[in-house]
Amino acid sequence: MNILKFASVQRALLTVFYLAAAAIIISACGTSGNSEDDGRLKVTSTIGMIHDLVKNIGGDRVASTGLMGPGTDPHLYKASHGDIRKLDEADIIFYNGLHLEGKMGEVLVKLEKRKAVVPVTKNIPRSSLMLVDDSGQGTYDPHVWFDVSRWISAAEVIEETLAGLDQDNADYYKERAAEYIGRLKQLDQYAREQLASIPEERRILVTAHDAFGYFGKAYGIRVLGLQGISTASEYGSKDVSDLRNFLVDNKIRAVFIESSVPKRSIEAVLEGSKKRGHTVEIGGELFSDAMGQEGTVEGTYIGMVTHNINIIVRALK
Amino acid sequence: MIDFWILLTGALVASCCGILGAFLVLRKMAMIGDAISHSVLPGIVIAFMISGSRDSFAMLLGASLLGLVTVFLIQMFKQSGVQADASIGVVFTALFAVGVVLVSLNARQVDLDLDCVLYGEIAYVHWNTWSMSGVDLGPKAVWLLGFTLLVILAVLGLFYKQFKLCAFDPALAAALGIPVALFHYLLMGLVSMATVSSFESVGAILVVGLLIIPASTAYLLTDRLGRMIALSAGIGVLSTVIGYGAAVVLDASIAGCMVCAAALLFVLAFLFSPKHGLVARAARRRRLSRQQLGA
Repeated sequence: MNILKFASVQRALLTVFYLAAAAIIISACGTSGNSEDDGRLKVTSTIGMIHDLVKNIGGDRVASTGLMGPGTDPHLYKASHGDIRKLDEADIIFYNGLHLEGKMGEVLVKLEKRKAVVPVTKNIPRSSLMLVDDSGQGTYDPHVWFDVSRWISAAEVIEETLAGLDQDNADYYKERAAEYIGRLKQLDQYAREQLASIPEERRILVTAHDAFGYFGKAYGIRVLGLQGISTASEYGSKDVSDLRNFLVDNKIRAVFIESSVPKRSIEAVLEGSKKRGHTVEIGGELFSDAMGQEGTVEGTYIGMVTHNINIIVRALK
Repeated sequence: MIDFWILLTGALVASCCGILGAFLVLRKMAMIGDAISHSVLPGIVIAFMISGSRDSFAMLLGASLLGLVTVFLIQMFKQSGVQADASIGVVFTALFAVGVVLVSLNARQVDLDLDCVLYGEIAYVHWNTWSMSGVDLGPKAVWLLGFTLLVILAVLGLFYKQFKLCAFDPALAAALGIPVALFHYLLMGLVSMATVSSFESVGAILVVGLLIIPASTAYLLTDRLGRMIALSAGIGVLSTVIGYGAAVVLDASIAGCMVCAAALLFVLAFLFSPKHGLVARAARRRRLSRQQLGA
């Protein structure tokens, strides 16, 4: 009796297996047949900031999609099934490079054999990049987008790539890129002027995640972070007490939290300084690894940088 | 083609994990996969310190080494009388902590978490190809996992009787002159090899899930080791297929859907297994009480 039952269980399992296999084949055919092809270049970008550049330069002549949405930390990003399709169907893939995309970067390098896969940071001279430690092992800080002048170089890479692969529209891309780079230069100027208006001894940015190294270097503001470069690495208790002492000794008025990092890490430091009789306030929320919601001002690169500058200036001035 | 490679990789991982998982569940050491997923951290930090790069191969080497150390220590503690679950817990938390300390001492500014440098993602297997002198040989994961599966099949095939006896009655095995400890270490070595190569190819959650869940499902369905191993591997493969289908429909994480499918099959077996299922047991109880009433 039991053996009979066992056989029927086995048969049932096999039936499910065949059904599932059939379902997969049907759905796979279904999705590949559905993909719209209107002759435009298909461009897929990893982080939102690059997606935004492509939208601004490519206009309506390219179909641009991004993988990491608002608030997604690139270090912790997980691909969904749809993301594979986006990567597979793309004519061009843009990514940041410099290990920002983690292990996905290795995959992107392999994809170079099949299609145009371009790290937008490729034209920034390596000698001008910041190393993340003193060991000289060639590990660069990947968060280049907060130095607007460096991000202009990324815009140029995108313009060249688009124009090279879609020569019919090359003039269109060149024109749009020139116009957008003009706006970036204004933004760069705005950042310089605004941050210079903070008294020099107060130009210290304390934040939860070391994403602002290039920002600090470009606009003359000292940056101190609680965590290391990675949002996933643990921070030591010495970090907390060092930072607390620093806040108290230098009479720092405000520290900043970030959209893609939990508030908790910085709150420990604030507690500590309060106990030593110095009140530090939270200056506001900065965007670091990801932009704001799509459709809002902060959901664009220019809007995000402007938001950060305004928040910093308001709190420290 | 993408679908084919993902399904093939999933099937290979499910087979490797399913076969070994059956033994682990019987020995009450199912959590060893989770343990290895954490304890390889010092291995990758040391590999990074020596090689100075985050190259996959160096990371894989470091992780394999620590995987072996982990299973060796767990087995050693267990044989010296520490409870199986306690020895797993002691070894992996301690090694993981060593890894955290090493990161904070040596590599704190470098992005060196397991997710970034070791764990692969099944979604990308299709593109992560292996090429030799310019010839594209197909996904690296398929080669790595295929080789692992062959080794597992060869070792278990050669010594099946010994492994079986050691799993159920180590005392009798020892009395018969089988080097029990050696076979335990051999099995653990296989587990370490399978999990580390699977981590590199498809990521942690899928490996840990497929190591435990299908084997536990199979355990509910049969009382025979041979059948349990076959069922465990088969259910694992089935989970990856159903999970992939779900990931396509829902546009969600593939590994996540696969483990959910495995869990779903476990629940089905738990309820409806002909012998150990809830429904069958309730029916049996009722029949029994009716017989007693009749008597």
